This record gives sequence, structure tokens and C-alpha cells, in this order.
Amino acid sequence: MSVKSIITKIPTIQKEFNIFTSYIKNPPDATVENTQSSIKVGAIKDNIATKDFPTTCASDILKNYSSPFDSTVVSLLKKSGALIIGKTNLDEFGMGSLGLHTTFGPTKNPLNKDWCVGGSSSGSAAAVASGIADFSLGTDTGGSVRLPAAYSAIYGFKPSYGRISRWGVVAFAQSLDTVGIFANNIDTVSKIFHIIDQHDPRDPTSLSIDLRKSLIDQNKKNEERSKPKIGIPKEFVQSELAPEIKESFMTYIQTLLTKDYEIYPISLPSIKDSLSVYYTLAPAEAASNLSRYDGIRYGKGNSTTPDIVNANFYNESRSNFGQEVKNRIILGNYNLCSDGYRNNFIKAQQLRVQIINQFDKIFRFKNVLTKNEPEHDIDIILCPTNLNPPPPINYMVQTPKSNPLQEYMNDIFTIPMSLAGLPAISVPFSKGKPYGVQISTQYGNDEALMKFVKETVF
Amino acid sequence: MLKFRSLGFPPIKRKLSNVKPIKDFELTCGLEIHTQLSTTNKLFSGSINNPFESISKPNVNTSYFDIALPGTQPILNYEAVLFALKLALSLKSTVNLASQFDRKHYFYGDQPQGYQITQHYHPFSKGGYLTLSKEFDEINEPSKEIRITQLQIEQDTARSIYHQSLQQNSDEETLIDFNRSNVPLIELVTEPDFHDTLQVKAFIKKYQNLVRQLKISTGDLEAGSIRIDVNVSVNEHPRVELKNLPNTSSIVNAINYEYKRQVNVLKNNSLIATQAVETRGWDGSKTTVLRSKESTMDYRYMADPELPPISLDADVLCEVAKTLLKDADECIRELMSEPYNLSKKDAKILTIQNEFNELYNNEELRTYYVDTFKLYTNSMEDNKNGDPKIVVSWILHELLGNLKKLEISLNHVSRDMLSPGKLAEFLNIVHSGVISNSNAKQLLFHILEEYKLEGCNKSIDTNFVTLIKKYDLEVTKKIDYAVLEDGCKEIIKDLNNPKMIESIKSGKKKNSIKYLVGLGMRKYQGKIQAQELETMFKKVLDIK
Repeated sequence: MSVKSIITKIPTIQKEFNIFTSYIKNPPDATVENTQSSIKVGAIKDNIATKDFPTTCASDILKNYSSPFDSTVVSLLKKSGALIIGKTNLDEFGMGSLGLHTTFGPTKNPLNKDWCVGGSSSGSAAAVASGIADFSLGTDTGGSVRLPAAYSAIYGFKPSYGRISRWGVVAFAQSLDTVGIFANNIDTVSKIFHIIDQHDPRDPTSLSIDLRKSLIDQNKKNEERSKPKIGIPKEFVQSELAPEIKESFMTYIQTLLTKDYEIYPISLPSIKDSLSVYYTLAPAEAASNLSRYDGIRYGKGNSTTPDIVNANFYNESRSNFGQEVKNRIILGNYNLCSDGYRNNFIKAQQLRVQIINQFDKIFRFKNVLTKNEPEHDIDIILCPTNLNPPPPINYMVQTPKSNPLQEYMNDIFTIPMSLAGLPAISVPFSKGKPYGVQISTQYGNDEALMKFVKETVF
Repeated sequence: MLKFRSLGFPPIKRKLSNVKPIKDFELTCGLEIHTQLSTTNKLFSGSINNPFESISKPNVNTSYFDIALPGTQPILNYEAVLFALKLALSLKSTVNLASQFDRKHYFYGDQPQGYQITQHYHPFSKGGYLTLSKEFDEINEPSKEIRITQLQIEQDTARSIYHQSLQQNSDEETLIDFNRSNVPLIELVTEPDFHDTLQVKAFIKKYQNLVRQLKISTGDLEAGSIRIDVNVSVNEHPRVELKNLPNTSSIVNAINYEYKRQVNVLKNNSLIATQAVETRGWDGSKTTVLRSKESTMDYRYMADPELPPISLDADVLCEVAKTLLKDADECIRELMSEPYNLSKKDAKILTIQNEFNELYNNEELRTYYVDTFKLYTNSMEDNKNGDPKIVVSWILHELLGNLKKLEISLNHVSRDMLSPGKLAEFLNIVHSGVISNSNAKQLLFHILEEYKLEGCNKSIDTNFVTLIKKYDLEVTKKIDYAVLEDGCKEIIKDLNNPKMIESIKSGKKKNSIKYLVGLGMRKYQGKIQAQELETMFKKVLDIK
């Protein structure tokens, strides 16, 4: 498809699936058109700063916000010759798993317009699934790339924490936030990853150049073993798993066995705490990060009431946040209050370390960050990405939100890897079906992970 | 500039006199001192650290991070860590080899992130002390140790500028200037070790001197590079935190006021049992409640999720410790003893930097003095009649005065034309009497002025013997006393003031003879020593 025909097609696609928060109207210039056969067309989640489009985070409080700078990932992509066609819809600030909590309205699933496409990187998943983009960037804090990838039957890769710069990525919970990649095939995922996998001195959590070098050595050792050893954590065997997903997953296991891969049952007892740990830490970081939207800088100021009363700052325009964001701000602040911090936050941090330590014991390679010594010999961890197929949009919108825990449950398979910072990819093993297999490995072995996918999924 | 509105009160200024302690009511104070570090860049961004530019150019030194744009991240400036390390080591505080940053949350117009990055759970250093003494710090006790609780590195906020809105029916409006946002600060907390305002005053002064000596801050209270909050408690009265104290006198006045107020509360038994801290402000005449005990803030401290710990190697501490200078009191004591024997006043001038001065700093000045002194006294060994006192008086009174007048730096002068050796040589000439004092002063000023006119960068060979010859400044060695006597008589005649002459002769205005000497110096262009002239005038006027 030529660039011009893509741009002409966007409005129709947009009408159908509500993918974009803003998009390109005219081809940028002639030179791009000339090299159209080789260029990659990409879409960027709207919580990643861009100069060419607004950066709204799908929130009313940033509705008119335009960033004066490009995020590092967008700069790198532009430099590589990629064409960015637009910014994509999301759950406000990345908070949500279904793509429903957005001021722009829900994004529809290209597999079936009645279904949720999943979140929070809803528009990015739909952009690739609909075929309008070759690739797209999302952000994954607890599963926000992997889950919508599974729901829309595409590849969704969350690299190791720190490999891709977060400069310009609007923070939700930056100890977890990771830029992720969507594409229709593993080669495109791999290509885009290599463009944006760079150390960035502007990001304090960017993986250092020295550690990057040690990962290259580790990768060489990875190649010495032709058939990686696979582990399946028994804690991920969920009785609530939908039968069709279980079946698909088992088919994949069968394929691996016929190819002579060794598969072992493993145990990671601490991952049972993952959801609680995540929903303690992530909202606390979110409440802190969202404090900057205090109402005088962002949002609509109220001209009739003063901003300070009795030496306390109070601004009504913070009501511009959506309900899910408000819920998490309240939950987060509860956990940050002096008692909550001691009783909940610190405990959650300790449990997070425990989860990381357990993962480190399972793998063959040492974790370059924690330096924990491995005790087992596993290369790859497998589990499904999603528990159930995507719910219908209407059902979710109409049913009173009595229990947000139900939505939080969607992230049950993806959150442990987020907490441990591990690379994880959701692979559409059953073509065109709204579920995925999640494949993960030790920190930093992103290349080995993609190699495994290339060898086992067709 | 960003604006927001608040309901506020304009400050009233009035001076209060000091208060005598009341028997059985003991004052206890602790200080929280915020010091702006004069690093080149800000704490977590590459923007220029110059908060004082704001007066004329608001918001020029701001990066995307300083104004907290979405998607920006902090990168720690290690120069601030080095400065904190110098201060911590000078105060004998125990440095944490892995201190961490935390976020302190509160909403305010000058706080663009909605939180301040500080160090709450794992501060930069703990413990330490600063010793005050009667001898150097004018306190009542011979010696008093003020213990340091901790030091933490943190961000400064933006600056709020309050003014009346131009719009009708509007309250006070606040403008925000972000030049100060993210400037590095050190918060120093002391133990409640102060029991009178003399100690508080002495500590502040000594601390200011310390940060200036370490060259980590301008140390200015009035300009806001140092800001001090005071915790005050009399007997069992709960601690009250005093804020908005712009200078030492308001600190002292506010403590005095608060002391009396708390004594009254205690005397009237109107104390409400509570542990919560009340925050009070100083309006120039009284302390008023800023934040009551009921509305105490929960700052919801959280470990910063993206900044790594400041990890320091013990070797680094040793290396930094080696670069630190001697303690100021020790320096003063040394200068006051053999062989320098300076007065306390002169020793202090050579040791303590009272203001940030671009022309010289106390350390350069002291080195220059010590070097000149040594060279001068060495050269005197053959000639036992030297006067070591002239070294300090020429440097402090003549040289420094000239440098200030001409705005040239000591370093340049010492490098290009007046090394300590050269000055020692010059002082030897002056002392030997080859040139009169007044001509020597003029000569010194003249060569410095020449140097300035040349652009302060040319090396000048200063040969004083040649210069004195060139300008014909040499004191006449063989005085023809008969001619001099005639000359003096002529001066008296030309003066034509018999009344004055009479009063000199009668001894009524003895010192008026200096006036005649001055006229003589002028007449002979300083080539006849003042002493010779005075003797001659006395002879002519027949004064014994």
C-alpha cells in the first residue's frame, strides 16, 4: 500500500474502529512517497510525546496539550525513516485493560467490532490488527501491550525494562512502564526493537552501556544451546481459563514436544501475590505522577473561585480526570498515607523483590541487574496471555462497575513479568483467534526470546 | 508567567527589641536550614542554575523537566553530590553510602510536579556537629556544640511573586517564575540544642562562613540562598515551627516573640495537650498561625521510583576530605599566634569571606599574605630592623583598597606584576626609608592603574628601584638643613595664619603640626620624610 492510499484510508478505518486520537492528513513530503516500498508505517500510543501530534493520554486534563519535544522512541523511528501516521486511543493514562476508559470513546476490536480490543494500548493494537499500520508502539505497565495483542490476534512485545527509553513517555507507574511493540509478524517486531533498543542518557532507568555489553556476551552463550529448556509455572494453571484458550495453549505445547523441546513443570509460589503487589505499587506511583496535573497548569481553570483557601491548594479542574483514574488516585494516595505506606507499600515492595528472586532461581542465566545466582536451568517460561476471550463492549459499558477487581483479573498472567521487568511477548498461536501464548525469559535475553518465537511459531 | 490567585496578607515590618530570659522558662530551639548550592547546573536537569537572574528575566533557565512537562525525567547532577559531600565532611556528619530520593507531595503553584524530590527515608548524611565558642562567635558559654541531625539533598521550588491583580474585583495574584525550580538545595536539620538567640545568631553566621569557605553557596540570607525555619519550644510547650524569616534579625525577633507568647500560654495554663506541630509565620511584629495542628499535612512520602540511589565509594569520601581546607577557627588562631601575631580582626578578615567577591576570596588572600609575610621576614634576617606588621597593613589597607577601586583581581595582579616576592621587596624598600610612605602608596596605585589600562593580562616587570628613580621619588638622603629650615619658614609665612601657628606653639592644638608637615610633603613631593619635616617645624617654631 502506498503512503498516499494509507492516508486516504485512515478516516474510514477510524470511523469503523475509533483507533486514533489524531492522525496525519497529508503525506509529509515527496521523498517519503518515493521510498514507500521500504518504509514502515507506524502508529504511536497517545501517552508518548510527539511534536507533530497532540499528546492527550486520552484524558480531558490533557485534551489540548501539545508536547514541545519528541520522545526518544519517536525520534529514533523518524530517523530510521518510519512514517508515523497518528496517535492512538488508550485507557486514560494507561489505566485499564479493555480500552474503555477514554475520553475518545472505546476502540473496537478489528476481529469483531462488538468486542473490546483490550487495553490500555487499545488503539495501537487495533491499528496493526486493522492493517492500517505495519507496527505500532504501546506502553505496558501490567500487560497493556500483551493483553490487547492477544485480544486482537497479533504480536505484542514488552521488552526488558530499561532497554527502550522512557524519555517522553508520560509516566503512569515508572518502575513498571515499558514501551512495547505491536506487529503482525515477529520480523517486524524484531526490526522495530532494534531501532529503538538504545541507551538514553535522558532516562535515569535506561539500561547502562556496560550492562548492554554484558548482555551481548550472554546472548552468545544463549546460542550455544540449540533447544532452549522450557518451564511452565504451575501457579499459572488457572481453573477459570476458558476452554478454547486452554486448547490452543495445549496445541502449542504439543508442537513443541514434537520438535523435541524439553518441557518442565516449575513453581513460582510468590506470583500468587502479583496482583495485590501491583495494585498497591502502581496506583501509588500513579497518584504521585498525576499530581503535576494540579489544575492550574493543565485542565480548565475556574475563574470564579480562588486556587488557595486557608493555605491549602484546591483546584476543581482536577475533576477532568476520568472515573478509573480517580479511583486509582484515591487508592494510590491511601497507600501513600503514612500508615498505608508502612503497612502496604513497603510490604508490596518487599514482595516484589521476592517475586524477582524466585524468577531468578528458575532461569539458566544470572539476572544482570540483581546478580542473583541461578539454581535451575530454564530458558523459556510459557503460559497463556489471557484468561478469557475479550468481553463485548456493550456488556462492559452497560453493566454497573460494581467490582473493578473483575477488570484487574485480566492482567493475571502478564503482571508477574512486569513486576520482574522480564521480556515477554504475546504470540497469536491460533491465527485470527482472540487469545495468545505468553512467552517470557530471563531479564535482558530479548533477542533469544524473539529467536525462540521465530523457531516455534508459524 | 504562570498566574494563580490566593487570599493573602501584606507583610508589616517593625523592629522588636531583645527579650531577657524569664526565670524557670527555658527556651529550646532547633533550626532547619535550606541552602542553595551554587552548582553550574540544576539538580536534575541541564539548565543553568542562576536563580537570581529571575528578577530581570523570569523563566529563562528552565528545561522541560524544571517545569514538569509530561514525559520528562530527572537525571542527577553529581556536582550537587560533591558539594553535599564537602559540607557533610566539614560538619563531621556520617555520609550514607547509598542515600535515596523520595517524593514529598503537596499542591502549590510553585511546585510544578506536585511533589518535591527530597531525601526522607534515607538521607544523605546523619549526625555531625558545629562548635561555637565565646572567643570567635560571641556566645556566653566558653564553648557550645550544636549537633546536626541530618543533611538531605533536595529540589528548590519555583519562586512565587505576589502582587495585586490588575483585574477588578480580584484578590491578590501570584506569578510563578521557574528559574528557581529544581535548583539544588541542602536541607540541614539541627538537634534542639539552642537555648538563647546569641547561639542561634552565632550558628547562622558560622554556617554562612562555612558554605562560603567551601564555595558551595553564596550563603546569602537576604537574597534567599539560605532560608531558615526555626522550631521553638518553651518548657513543655509543644514545638512550634516558625517560617517566613527573611534575615537574622527577623529570626531573632520571631524567637523572642514566640518565647514570650509561649511563656504566657504556660503561665495561663491554656496549653492544649497535643503532639501535633503548629506552623506559625512572622509578619514583622508577631507570629501568626499559618497551619494549625488540625490541618497538619500528610506529605505521603514515597521512594522515587525512577531515581537510582546515590551510591558512593568510601574512597571518594577520603579523596574529597583531602581537598577540604582547615577549619576557620583554627586558621584564625594560627594567624593570631607566632610568627604572624595578627589582631583577631585582621586574622578574621584573612580567613572569613563575608561576601561573595569576584576580585579575591579569603583563601587566596590568606595565601598571598602568608607568602608575602614569609618572604619579607626571610629577607629581613640580615637586616634586623624590619617591621612584620607592615605586611598585613599594606595588604589589607592599601592593596585591597586599590583592587576594589580599580576592580582588578588579586590572582591576576599576583600572577602578572605583584607576586608575594615582589611585594616583599617593595615593602623592604618602603621600610628602609628610600621612599616616603605617601609616595609609596601613590606608586603602588599608579602601577596597578597602568596594569588595569593595559587590560589586566600583560605580565609587567615591576622593578621598584628603577621606578622610584624614573619618577624621581627617592627621599633626599643628604638634607641641607639650612635650606630645609628656610623652606619651612617660607611655608609658615605663605600660610599666613598666625592664629594657628600660635595655637601650635602654645600646645593648644598640638596635632595641627601635622598640617604643616602635609604642606611640607607637598612642597618637597614626598622626598623628605615626614619625620624630618616635623622635627624641622618644631625647631623653627621652637617647640620642645
